[in-house]
Amino acid sequence: MSATSKIAGQLARKFYKLSLVDGVVSPERVAGVLEYVAAHRPANPVMVLRAYHRLIAAELARCAAVVEHAGPISDAILQGIAAALTAKYKRPVNAVAKPNPALLAGLRVHLGDDVFEASAAGQLRALAESVQ
Amino acid sequence: MSTVLEQIEQEIAKLSAKAVRKNTGTIRTVADGVAKIDGLSDVMYNEMVQFPGGAIGIALNLEEDEVGCVILGDVSKLKEGDEVTTTGRLLSVPVGKALLGRAVDALGRPVDGKGPIDAKEFNPVEKIAPGIIVRKSVSQPVLTGIMAIDSMIPIGRGQRELIIGDRSTGKTTIAIDTIINQAKINKVGFASGDPKFRPMYSIYVAVGQKNSNIARTIAALEAAGALEYTIIVAAPAADNPANQYIAPYSGAAMGEWFMDNNMDALIVYDDLSKHAVAYRQISLILKRPSGREAYPGDVFYLHSRLLERAARLDGKGSLTALPIIETLAGDVSAYIPTNVISITDGQIFLETDLFNQGIRPAVSVGLSVSRVGSAAQLKATKQVAGKLKGELAQFRELAAFSQFGSDLDAKTKAQLDRGSRIVELFKQPAFNPIPIELQVVTLWAMQKGYYEGLPLAKVMAAAKSLREFFSTRQDALLTTIRTKAALDAEIETGLKSACDAWKATFAA
Repeated sequence: MSATSKIAGQLARKFYKLSLVDGVVSPERVAGVLEYVAAHRPANPVMVLRAYHRLIAAELARCAAVVEHAGPISDAILQGIAAALTAKYKRPVNAVAKPNPALLAGLRVHLGDDVFEASAAGQLRALAESVQ
Repeated sequence: MSTVLEQIEQEIAKLSAKAVRKNTGTIRTVADGVAKIDGLSDVMYNEMVQFPGGAIGIALNLEEDEVGCVILGDVSKLKEGDEVTTTGRLLSVPVGKALLGRAVDALGRPVDGKGPIDAKEFNPVEKIAPGIIVRKSVSQPVLTGIMAIDSMIPIGRGQRELIIGDRSTGKTTIAIDTIINQAKINKVGFASGDPKFRPMYSIYVAVGQKNSNIARTIAALEAAGALEYTIIVAAPAADNPANQYIAPYSGAAMGEWFMDNNMDALIVYDDLSKHAVAYRQISLILKRPSGREAYPGDVFYLHSRLLERAARLDGKGSLTALPIIETLAGDVSAYIPTNVISITDGQIFLETDLFNQGIRPAVSVGLSVSRVGSAAQLKATKQVAGKLKGELAQFRELAAFSQFGSDLDAKTKAQLDRGSRIVELFKQPAFNPIPIELQVVTLWAMQKGYYEGLPLAKVMAAAKSLREFFSTRQDALLTTIRTKAALDAEIETGLKSACDAWKATFAA
C-alpha cells in the first residue's frame, strides 16, 4: 500500500467513526462529512471518499439483511428474521426481501459478511461438492 | 458404482433443514497470485479460504480493512467481485502409505497421471514442532551410501543435515543417492525377516526446479527401484509462488505421519533458497515490510519452523531432514545460508574447485561437520574411519606446504601419499551408493595398507574390484559385518584372508 493511499485510508476511517451515532450510521453526520470534504478539499479527495464509501457501505450492510427467497415470503417471516438477527448480533437489523428463483426453494440471508444458507440450491451445491 | 451410490446416500442423510452460516468476503483485487478481499470478518490467520471455481487460498494478511490471501491454484478465472468463503479449517494434505511411489503437488493432488490417491488421513500443513520432552537423542544412523559422508560426516535419524554448495556441485545427487540407499536397505531388511528392522521412507520435495529436472530425478529413482518407498512433492518453477511456499510444509506433514506412527522417514528439501525467494515474492506482493536483501523479517522463522519438525521422538519414529541450499560463488556467509546453517545440526559443504578437479562427491571435509557425529555411526565404521578426518586435515596442510618446496622427508612424503590415496578412495560415481558393509571393507583395507604400492590412478579401480570380490565371494562375511555392526577378531581374520586372496588376483 502506498503512503498516499494509507493516509487517505486513515482519514476515511476517522470520517467513518465520526459518522456513527450509538453504533449506527447517521445520515446527518454523513452529510456533514461530505460538506467538510467539499469545503476543505483534503489531499487526494477521491481516494478518501472512495475509502469512506466502502466503510459506510460495509456498515450499512451489517444492519440490513438481504433475504433472498424463491417462493412467496410474508412480512411476518421478514420481521421474524430481523428480530432473530437483532438478538443474535445485538444490534438493530432490518430485513429486506429479494426474490431469487434460482434458489429453487428456501431462503438465503446476507448480513454483512455472513451468509445463512437454507436454500435447496445451496444444499444441492454442497452435496455436489462433497461427492467430488 | 455402488460405492458412489452409498456416498450420495450418506451425504443426503447429512442434509438437514438447518441454515448453514458462512462468513464471506468479496475480491477487491487479484494480482500476482494474491487476492485482496473485503469482508471475511471472521477469518483467522492461516485459515483456508474457498474461491469460486475450486481454487483455495490461505489468509496471510489480516488488516483493518482487507484480508490478503495467497491463492493456491488457477487464478485465471477469478475476478473482482467474486465471493470468497471461509472454511474454518487449516490447509491439510493427504498423508499415509498410499502416497508412496506417487508424485503430488503442494496440495497433495497427484500429478503423475496414475489415478487418484486413496488417502484415509489428512494432516495440517502448518503444525507446531514437537517440544523438548518428547524428543529422544539421535543414535541410529542414516546411511547415505556415500563413503565420504558415512565415514566422516555421519548423519543420524532425526538429524537435520544441510547440503550446501554452488550450482552443479552435486547437492541433489547426494540426496538422491541417500534415497536410493534407503530403498536398498529396505529391500534387504524386508527380505531378512528381521522383526526389529525399521525401514526408512523418503520424501523428496522439489521447489522451484525445472520440470525436466524433476522428471529426471523421478526416472533415476524408478530405475534404482527406490520410487516405491518415496513420495515426490513437486512445486516446479512454473507453479505460482504460493505453491512453492507451501510445498515444503506439505512434505513435512507427510513425513510427520510416518514419525507419529512409529516409522522413520527422510525428507529432502530441494532447495530452500528457491523457497525463500518464493516467500519473498509473496511477502512483497502482500506489502509486508522488507528487510535485508528484500527478504521479509520472518524469513528465519520460515525455515526454523519447518526444520524443527524433523526430530526423533521418544516411543515413536523419526523424521530426518536434508535441506539443500544453493550458494553464489561459494559464499556461505550470505543471509539465507547462514540462517539455515544456524538451524541445522551440521552441513555438508560441496566445493566447485573440488568438483572441477574430479573429486566427486565434492565434499569439503574441512568445512563439513555433523554435530551429532559418531553417536549416529555404526561401531564398525568408527573402528575403520575414526581417524580419517584428522588424517585428511593433516594431508591438506602438508599439500599446501609441499607446493613451495621440493625436498620433503620420507615421513611427509608418506603422509602425502596416504592422503592422496584416501582422496582417491572417496571418489564415487553418482547414483551408486555403497552398502555400509562394503564401505567398512574398503576402509579396513585402506587402514591395513592393501592399496599401498598401487599407482594413484588405480586406487579407485582397486577399491571397486575389492568390493566386487567381496560381493560375489564373501557374502557370508558381509552379512556378518552388517548384522554385528562391529569388527571383532574373528571378522578381522576373515577380512585379512579375503583381502589377501583378492590382492593375489588383482592385477594393477
